[in-house]
Amino acid sequence: MIGANWVVALAGAIFAVGAVGVMIRKNPLIMFMSAEMMWNAAALAFVAYARVYHAINGQVMAFLIIGTAAAEVGIGLAIIVAVYHRRHRLDIDELSSLRG
Amino acid sequence: MNPLLWPEYSVLLGVLACLAAVMALGTKRSAEYPVSIVALVASAVFTVHGWSGHQSPVALYGQTVIIDNFSVAVDGLVILAAAASILLGWNERRSGTDFPALVLLAALGMMVLGAANSFLVLFLGIELLSLPLYILAASPGTSASGEAGLKYLLLGAFSSGILLFGLALLYGGSGTMIFTAIGPAHTIAPLVAAGSALTLVGLIFKLGVVPFHMWVPDVYEGSSMPVAHFMAFGTKVGAAAILMRFLFFGFYLSPGVWGPLIGYLGVLTMIVGNLMALPQNDLKRLLAYSGIGNAGYLLIGLASHNVTGAEAMLFYLLPYGFAVMGAFAVVTMVAGERSSISVKDLAGLSSRSPALSAFFVVAMLSLAGIPLTGGFVGKFYLLQAALFANQPGLAVGLVLATLVGMGAYLRPLLASFGHPAQSLEPIVWPWGGALVLAVATLGTIGLGVYPAPIVQIVSHSANFFWLH
Repeated sequence: MIGANWVVALAGAIFAVGAVGVMIRKNPLIMFMSAEMMWNAAALAFVAYARVYHAINGQVMAFLIIGTAAAEVGIGLAIIVAVYHRRHRLDIDELSSLRG
Repeated sequence: MNPLLWPEYSVLLGVLACLAAVMALGTKRSAEYPVSIVALVASAVFTVHGWSGHQSPVALYGQTVIIDNFSVAVDGLVILAAAASILLGWNERRSGTDFPALVLLAALGMMVLGAANSFLVLFLGIELLSLPLYILAASPGTSASGEAGLKYLLLGAFSSGILLFGLALLYGGSGTMIFTAIGPAHTIAPLVAAGSALTLVGLIFKLGVVPFHMWVPDVYEGSSMPVAHFMAFGTKVGAAAILMRFLFFGFYLSPGVWGPLIGYLGVLTMIVGNLMALPQNDLKRLLAYSGIGNAGYLLIGLASHNVTGAEAMLFYLLPYGFAVMGAFAVVTMVAGERSSISVKDLAGLSSRSPALSAFFVVAMLSLAGIPLTGGFVGKFYLLQAALFANQPGLAVGLVLATLVGMGAYLRPLLASFGHPAQSLEPIVWPWGGALVLAVATLGTIGLGVYPAPIVQIVSHSANFFWLH
């Protein structure tokens, strides 16, 4: 029986890897994948805490996170493919006609 | 089917009807725009009926959703924003057949946010708001639409990840998902502190508050006019509503922790937003930075943490929305077939079309906060709330930012009274844009001259300190 704190620590590590990935990688696909890792880290933390509190709502939240992530991937990949069709290269530094 | 949720149901039915209309009639004969407007009108009727019908809050679905006067008021604001966007974009060839359905879906997300009382509903509302907007930002319309959609998608997914992890830590620290059940008694303090900080970062990212505002001008510039309008008005309503719910319901007892943070962010946001609006040439970017500045004004209502602040924040959304509606309607008409225009393109507007120029003056003066417009009354209430809360720093920030903002809004006004550079084609008045413009101008001047009815509605809506 692994303690919930270890599971949450693992979730925190996955979250950190995802956050660093979004910030330092240049390929939109990898950045998007890293953002999805952050979502899954949150789902893992919800499940761990649901076991601590013997409550079902954390697990429900995890399922909804998975479902919403699937919807987001559908939209995200479509947008990334559309941008790739127009430019035939994927590098976030080259997408710079809009300057914030 | 709960009768109190009919505003939400009718928008949802409208989405399905729009999709069915596109499927049945194809792209040759378009029925989806009228269908979406019918759905919004039905939703508005139910909202008005719901307003007169119940005055006490009703908790539904195990307290995860609360229907009270606040949620009904948010429904009204969202319906206004969605209807104005659909009317502005009433052009199948340019906006596409899926535009009304996507706008309705995002509006549904905003309405859900207004009624949320649980982490679960908060998350679903945020995503229901964001996912259609990713598609709308990326749909063709401007030369940079793909880039805008990609930026919005990546940063939106990133911020949603932060928000979700914050919610997970909050759940771990407090053992509940219900805002109103987060009590100080059974919480694990470090987890709750870290979780609420991460959640706040995710939420103010959606509102476009300063350290997390970089995406706003880019996404507006790359989106078409009606979509940018919907982001400027509707998204602000949704994000402001969920911030009020989250902080006033969940963390009512610890304003000393988050109040100063929100206050500093608010002052920083209003100053930076208005300063950055000064040198902008593209009108969509100018309005984007103006929206950032206005997000800072809205935070005053949160930071002052009293009933007056909540009322002022809710009230300010309406004059801001009317001004944004008016400004975007004028900009859309002047742009005509183009996807974006600069300040120079406004030159000679007063001689090309005096009526349009007059409407533009009203919208800009309201954004700048000149008396006899709704913007002035809204800023007045915010100032009052800051002073009642004994926070003069907020009031000073508001006044300074308004002064800077006047400079920013004066430039397009001066340009519109200048001489045109070349002879330009006459301006076409689409009926949808004309209707939006009429409502926006009437609303702006009406709020500025006689705000009492709206003030009364707002004071019934924002008194959700009943819980404590």
